[in-house]
Amino acid sequence: MPNSNGWNRRSADRGGVGKGIGALGTVGGKHSSRTGGRALTVRLNALESNEVIAGKNKALFGKAFVMNFLSSPGSGKTSLLESLVPLLKSEGLNSAVIEGDVETDLDKRRIDALSVPAYQIITNGTCHLDANMVNKSLYNLNINIKDMDVIFIENVGNLVCPTSYNLGEDMKAVVLSVTEGDDKPLKYPAAFYKSKVMIINKIDLLPVLDSDVSKIKENALSINKELIIFETSCKRKINAGGITVCSADGSGNTNSADSQDRREGRDKGILELVSFIKKNVKLKSEKFKDTIDIY
Amino acid sequence: MHEISVALEIIDTLDDNGYLVGVKKVNSIKLNIGRYSGIDVNYLSFAFQNIDDERFKGVLPEFVLNDSDEIKIEEIIVD
Repeated sequence: MPNSNGWNRRSADRGGVGKGIGALGTVGGKHSSRTGGRALTVRLNALESNEVIAGKNKALFGKAFVMNFLSSPGSGKTSLLESLVPLLKSEGLNSAVIEGDVETDLDKRRIDALSVPAYQIITNGTCHLDANMVNKSLYNLNINIKDMDVIFIENVGNLVCPTSYNLGEDMKAVVLSVTEGDDKPLKYPAAFYKSKVMIINKIDLLPVLDSDVSKIKENALSINKELIIFETSCKRKINAGGITVCSADGSGNTNSADSQDRREGRDKGILELVSFIKKNVKLKSEKFKDTIDIY
Repeated sequence: MHEISVALEIIDTLDDNGYLVGVKKVNSIKLNIGRYSGIDVNYLSFAFQNIDDERFKGVLPEFVLNDSDEIKIEEIIVD
């Protein structure tokens, strides 16, 4: 909390703004020659204390594959989890979810309905999760992490601040809904630069929008050419052949479908994302086993 | 506006690594800031002005910008 002098260290309320912006800093490299005093060369990651805890988190996660979901508010992160978690569960994979929000446990309640372990971090104003918050949540999840195959971290809805913090995850996944416009990757490059996966969500809305998915991809890949891209809808139902068979309101013809995917009307992009996660769960598990075997 | 948190983390990092032992005042701090770090240098300057730590009152942040995602403390000048 701010006091009369400014912001306290160890504040529970890190991240607020009290007054206007005063740009007293300078940009350039003429440091030592401009300021009197004793120069100390540091050359350290400025977020080293966070990195240390992120390293502890990574060790605690063990064999579990951990994805950190970043996005603007309302892109559909929780809806994606509601689609992914039951599918992973049906494949025999154990998932847990750490939710991050400024206020309320509304998202955790949605995850609770899936009958998987979930913990809500309420940041009380802070615009991002840091490694320490996640560390504490691991102890509050009341699970044996060794039994977990996948841990999802749903970061606070914000496309800027969460990008600076390593939580110990295996990868960041940036979620971008088509309603946000195709220029988002250029306006908020850090999230796309730091993510391994981009999920273009709500593609069922494309017919009524001017958004251009190819332009979204082009812009995102201009920031990070290694991005793995999925196009998903948590509402539209598509059969295994890629044909729309059922809309969000349940209309459409599913009678001829005979595969499980078609019977249950799952979105093709969601299924591809589940396959990607399963592959990474396997890779992480094998890598972890190799590490254990070495020791 | 996570730059307040980042400024506090920077002080923690300096403290934890012994750079502030016996230091009464930090005159300036030179930081390498990547374009993809998610940091707004104006907000970070503002954060340093408003941190409740006497050693950093009046500190002059200087930023060297680059094309990475790093947030690195390069050097401090202290009394």
